[in-house]
Amino acid sequence: MRLSAALALLLSVSALQAGIFSTDESSDQKVKCVYSGTDGNCVEPILKAENELVITVTGQGVAPSVTASPAQAYALAKRAAMVDGYRLIAERVKGVQVEGQDTIKNMMLQQSSTKTSVEAIVRGANIMNTTFKEGLCEVEMEIALSYSRVLH
Amino acid sequence: MRSRNGNRPFVFSSLALISTLIHAADNYYIGYRLTTKNAQPIEEQFTVSKAMQPCTEYGNFILTLPRLSGATLETVLNLERSTFIEYAAEHELRLKSNETITSSNVQSLQTLTLPTRCYAVEFNDHSVTISLSK
Repeated sequence: MRLSAALALLLSVSALQAGIFSTDESSDQKVKCVYSGTDGNCVEPILKAENELVITVTGQGVAPSVTASPAQAYALAKRAAMVDGYRLIAERVKGVQVEGQDTIKNMMLQQSSTKTSVEAIVRGANIMNTTFKEGLCEVEMEIALSYSRVLH
Repeated sequence: MRSRNGNRPFVFSSLALISTLIHAADNYYIGYRLTTKNAQPIEEQFTVSKAMQPCTEYGNFILTLPRLSGATLETVLNLERSTFIEYAAEHELRLKSNETITSSNVQSLQTLTLPTRCYAVEFNDHSVTISLSK
């Protein structure tokens, strides 16, 4: 009886310590995590008045199959990647409008379609890095969100 | 008979007027639109038009592009398109994206637009200086 009580006490103390340590770790983080994903990672940090939130995305673009030169292919692929990067930024900051439609006939699914759309004005995004490999261009883009930027 | 010293103000004012005409910034309205379909650019359009009225208040961000002698603004922008787009996009751009996903097909259509805005353009011998109006 005494042994089980002592064991329970020991377990509760260790659990309390673990809780204390975990709160210390979270307070060290610069950005507070509001929502957690299925894998436990933070998916949507919050913008506070005292700090700025940096969002990084990687846009992908492909050159058209017929181009005048490799340089043109690179330029066009980069431009397409930029557009994709801006779309990702808009989706992350503003959100996506999703519209789904299923057609069912005689209790059977005939057609299923999903449409997503986003429309936004983007200011202050920067291209950080560009890579071009095997016809695929990847552009790493970054935007810093802060109260001063939002208000101006 | 007019003295040599008396001609000086006339000469200086003429030189100042000529240099002002040569180096003064012109105002242009520049816009850009790019449409991509399935991550491939399908349409790209630059619109350049000289402003009929002068624009006021210019920002501090200045872009300098190399220029071959006698090249027009359209030529310079076509050659240095990426640089200009990155410069202008940093200030403001509009994006419209639509994706349609069905069981057998995925289609995406994205339109990037740099709104038509007034720019002060200064032509030099080997460069063009572009400044965005506020």
